[in-house]
Amino acid sequence: MKGSKKGKLRSLSAACLPLVMVFVLAACGSKREPGKNLIEDKDENERIVNFFSPMEKTNPDAENVARSASDLTIAMAEEKLGVTIAYITYTAEDYQDRTYDEVSLDRVRNNMDDFYLLNTDTILALGGEGKLMDLSSLDSAENLREVVKTANTVEGKLVAIPQEVVAYGLFINKDMFDQYHLEVPETPEDFLECCRVFKENGVETPIGANRWWLETFVFAQAYADLYNGEDTDSEIAALNSGKVKYSDYMRPGFEFLQELIARGYIDAGKAAVSEAIEAEGPDFLAQKTPIVMAYWSAANTETAYGKTDFEMQVIGFPSSRGQMPVISMTGYAVGVGAEHAEDAMETLNILVSDEALQTYAEKNRVISPSKNVEVDCVPALEPLNNKIKENVYVLGSNAGMKVEQWGNTCQIVRKLLEGASVDECMEAFDKLQEESLNQ
Amino acid sequence: MNKKSGNRRFRGFSLLLSIILVFCILGTVVFTVSKKITQEMSDSAIQNLSESLDLIKCTIEAVLKNEAEFQTMIAKEIAQEENIKDTVRSYESNGTMVKLSLILSGETEGISNTGEVFTEEGLDFSAGRTIEGLPVSGSYVNYMGTWAYSMKCPVVKGGREIACLYVEYVYDTLDKSLPKGFYDEKATLYIMDGKSERFVLKPKGMGQRKAGHLNLADFYRANDIEEQYLHDDVEESLKEGKSILFYHDIRDVEALNYMWPLNDGSVYLIGYVPVEAIQQEGRTVNQNIYLVVAVMLAAFLLCCTLYYFNQRQQRRIRREQEEERERHNKQLAEALQAAQIASNSKTTFLSNMSHDIRTPMNAVLGFAALLAADVENPVKVREYTEKIMVSGQHLLSLINDILDVSKIESGKVVLSLEEFTLNDVVSSVDAIIQPMAEQKKQSFHVEVTNIKHEYLIGDETRLNQILINLLSNAVKYTPEEGNIWFRIMGLKQRSSQYGRIRIEVEDDGYGMTPEYLRTIFDAFTRAENSTTNKVQGTGLGMAITKSIVELMGGTIDVFSEVNKGSLFRVELELRVPERQTEQQFWQNSGIKRILTVGCDKELSSSIQLRMKDVGVDVSTANNADEVPALIRQEDEEFSVILLDWSIPEAVKAAGQLRSILSNVPMLYMAALDEKELKDGLQIENTGILLKPFFVSALKDKLLEMQGEKRKRPDAEEALEDELKGMHFLAAEDNEINAEILVDLLELEGASCEIVENGQLAVDRFECAPEGEFDAILMDVQMPVMNGYDATRAIRALPCSDARNIPIIAMTANAFAEDERAALDAGMNAHVAKPINIQLLKKTIRQYKNERNII
Repeated sequence: MKGSKKGKLRSLSAACLPLVMVFVLAACGSKREPGKNLIEDKDENERIVNFFSPMEKTNPDAENVARSASDLTIAMAEEKLGVTIAYITYTAEDYQDRTYDEVSLDRVRNNMDDFYLLNTDTILALGGEGKLMDLSSLDSAENLREVVKTANTVEGKLVAIPQEVVAYGLFINKDMFDQYHLEVPETPEDFLECCRVFKENGVETPIGANRWWLETFVFAQAYADLYNGEDTDSEIAALNSGKVKYSDYMRPGFEFLQELIARGYIDAGKAAVSEAIEAEGPDFLAQKTPIVMAYWSAANTETAYGKTDFEMQVIGFPSSRGQMPVISMTGYAVGVGAEHAEDAMETLNILVSDEALQTYAEKNRVISPSKNVEVDCVPALEPLNNKIKENVYVLGSNAGMKVEQWGNTCQIVRKLLEGASVDECMEAFDKLQEESLNQ
Repeated sequence: MNKKSGNRRFRGFSLLLSIILVFCILGTVVFTVSKKITQEMSDSAIQNLSESLDLIKCTIEAVLKNEAEFQTMIAKEIAQEENIKDTVRSYESNGTMVKLSLILSGETEGISNTGEVFTEEGLDFSAGRTIEGLPVSGSYVNYMGTWAYSMKCPVVKGGREIACLYVEYVYDTLDKSLPKGFYDEKATLYIMDGKSERFVLKPKGMGQRKAGHLNLADFYRANDIEEQYLHDDVEESLKEGKSILFYHDIRDVEALNYMWPLNDGSVYLIGYVPVEAIQQEGRTVNQNIYLVVAVMLAAFLLCCTLYYFNQRQQRRIRREQEEERERHNKQLAEALQAAQIASNSKTTFLSNMSHDIRTPMNAVLGFAALLAADVENPVKVREYTEKIMVSGQHLLSLINDILDVSKIESGKVVLSLEEFTLNDVVSSVDAIIQPMAEQKKQSFHVEVTNIKHEYLIGDETRLNQILINLLSNAVKYTPEEGNIWFRIMGLKQRSSQYGRIRIEVEDDGYGMTPEYLRTIFDAFTRAENSTTNKVQGTGLGMAITKSIVELMGGTIDVFSEVNKGSLFRVELELRVPERQTEQQFWQNSGIKRILTVGCDKELSSSIQLRMKDVGVDVSTANNADEVPALIRQEDEEFSVILLDWSIPEAVKAAGQLRSILSNVPMLYMAALDEKELKDGLQIENTGILLKPFFVSALKDKLLEMQGEKRKRPDAEEALEDELKGMHFLAAEDNEINAEILVDLLELEGASCEIVENGQLAVDRFECAPEGEFDAILMDVQMPVMNGYDATRAIRALPCSDARNIPIIAMTANAFAEDERAALDAGMNAHVAKPINIQLLKKTIRQYKNERNII
């Protein structure tokens, strides 16, 4: 019985084998179809949207979280709209090179691209020139926080929308503070005392600085009372009307910076020619410098300070009202002369939608400009985040002020670094205020 | 054998080695072919990349050439104009020439079509590169915020250079001349300024988005190209305006990095292509090769496996055949050895038998001679006669054993299965062995434990034979005043239909040597030593015993040590009769409860256990004094009293019990040798129940006591005159035997008429008047008509006593089968020759009684 079963199996196998061979041979064979055009034309109607943005100098094996987060939203827009977003980038090689802001001004003015990632001062300048599209009609604009709208509205037009609210703070090496039994500084006096102790204990330059972000010290001291007082609007109105001088607000901060430079807590010469993070970052990570200043995302990204061998804390800048975060905003803007303006607007609508901002905030762990998106921040950012949650901060730029703050202050601080006196710096502010009044 | 196995192992190892070698060669070939293909594909891919880059280079250089030619043409046109400045200002910028500027000869400032003052400041022509003879500047970021370069062209009028025309071009225009999706968008392509090493253009859709590089140093850093020798090679190539191509991993992916000079190195094409993207076809070919090789290997392995299994099967079959052959050889050798041993044994046996038979025969003949000589001396006559009798008896037992063995060996023994009780077995064995033991002053102990079924089906005769063999041996081989234990134990049943019993016969006698133990069950062997050679025997007893035990499906084991004793253990599984009528007897007799007095705990529980099976409760009293209280406690009356006679003052206790329970039958549980039993039996309604306890024995005893209570004549007395006055018809063809029979019967006061065969016996009986003969003694093997046929013929006669007259077989055919054949033929009993007159008397008495009853 068993033998008969085996015999049947063998017969079946023998019968199947030729069949399998026939199938295999048939599968291997193919016939060319004569006279058929083998090239298929690619879609000539490919929708391209040109996007101009900066590109950080990259290191191998380091993930740029902000870039990755942005890429995720770009991919989302491409998928939803069927467009291709082409990156055009520019990064200054050194301080002598043209800055990104300068280049972006030229590119917007010459309609080189469709949409741009712009810094605050550029937004205000180009907004004032009417070179940027009004984005208030976008559906996504409705979800923005008021502070975001205020900071990006120029002459009644919402000219830019950010993907994150950029908060600047002091990044401190808490281990070094603890080593010298130092409390986290609240006021300028506290800060000077900390620097003194560090200096006396052999830290050559307690503050790591670059040519871009020292202005944050100035803003914190200049506008702590203005933004955290009760009469912000009337004070701004007084500044715009010329009743009050910007230089009166700015002087304490500049004098403070002057003192830091004079006492050797900041290396002015080095700072004047240094790009952000590039110069001061390595020393901070190597625990040679206990204090640097940077933006919120720098605490998340490995290309900046996202991976330290010590306990890092991000706190506000010292001011008479204690630690003070400085808020600024980079934003996406669409050029009025953009070749693909319609696609650019649609793209932007996706990039700043709640869905995209949620993705961005979750990846980058930042403060979202949308009032509907909230994510937790990394522990190091807790002190800074707590202040912002308490609505304690100053704005680094305000489209409501007739004198552009972020870019101008940066330029004037650079003069200070190059050796100008505080009075000369104040004169520069007075001149800017005068020009604004004449316009 | 080992050598063969070693050879096989070596062959297997060689085969394995060959297979591995084939695999290695195949692997090497495949690897070499694959590598060659990869190399060729790689070379081809590099060639392909070079060609692609050359194509791009040619395209861009053509664009630059066109630009230069166009600029030259414009310069010529401008030279024709009267107001060349206005001509320049009126020029409208386009996507290619984004700015047109002019500086008049001898001046440092000029004008531009964009309106502002133009100077050469910011334009670096120091590299000395030209396109179609026009100097070309280094790259810079222009007023549009994009990378640009300028060419200057002299404006010649009338053979004199009147001005210099500067035209600014943007790199973005080259984008359209570059391929879309270089290597399926897996490769990156930049345009680098040769002097500043700045990356001035990254075409759209080129490579990964993350790869946005600033300059060559950034390209190195971002892609971890830190090898100095590579930097040096690149630097040298850049200086000389040569191209360079090298392998280096980019983000952990093997890639081919290239730098391709354009326009003698004023700009470079720079980037990388992942090797995977270049060698896509090569990889596919290799994958297919590997697939084919894998399929081939799998097929090869399958073949090897099938071959291996086939070989294994063949080897197994061969091995089995060899094993079978070896087994046969071994069996043949064993059979030969056994035959030799048997032959030897039989030779030895014959030698022994010759001695053993001759010895008593010598005694018979010797004493017969002496008898003839001393016939006048009655004392001598009696002495010689007794000795002749003893020798004759020994000779007879010798012959019986020999015949038994030969019968068992020839397989002619058939068990006669009948219902029997263990009680009968124990009683009969006890009756035979006890006197033998007493004769040697030995203590014979009988123990029965855990017996659940007393009634069993089996061959009682053969079982008795086993027990008597074992026990008589024990008596034989135990010195005087030794001990013999006979134990019957019930074992756990494997099936409800079969009862298992273990029989142990133990003694503390001479014991056996280990050598002898090994051959104890072989036929024709006998323990020979200085002690036992006084013991006579055929040496066949144990062989017979073992054969019978095995015939019954049982086992026999022996344990023994010299001078310590021996233990024989027999285990049998005997069928339990389905019909258990025992309970019915007890119910019919109205016996529901019995009383035991003075029995030890073990005996009491044994009685309780066995009586419970027949539905009778047992109450236990330690002595007679406890009985009144017990009577008050129990509702049921006691139907029987069992009094253990071994208790002190048993007679007194019996008297007490009789006074308490006057009419209840009382049985004394005792061994045969108990004293004062006669005193006890004086008490009314009493009897003896021999130990060990059996329900069947109790039943028989009660039946006996309930019966007519015929007083049994004293056995010895009755047998004395058993045959007196009787007249027999004997059919016996042997004259001597006939004479002996006649004489023996005459000695007993009986008469006998001899006929020579069965036919004559039938004829004589037919003619005889009724009652002439009291019984017929019938030989079996006779001429004319044998005893069986004669019996059948007699039983068939119409005479009134033909059916009833006792016919007793008297034959030398002494086996159980012969007895059965005799009974089947219609005979009443079977008495084996030589004639044992006592046995004949017993048999006659039994049938006389039966006839009287009838």
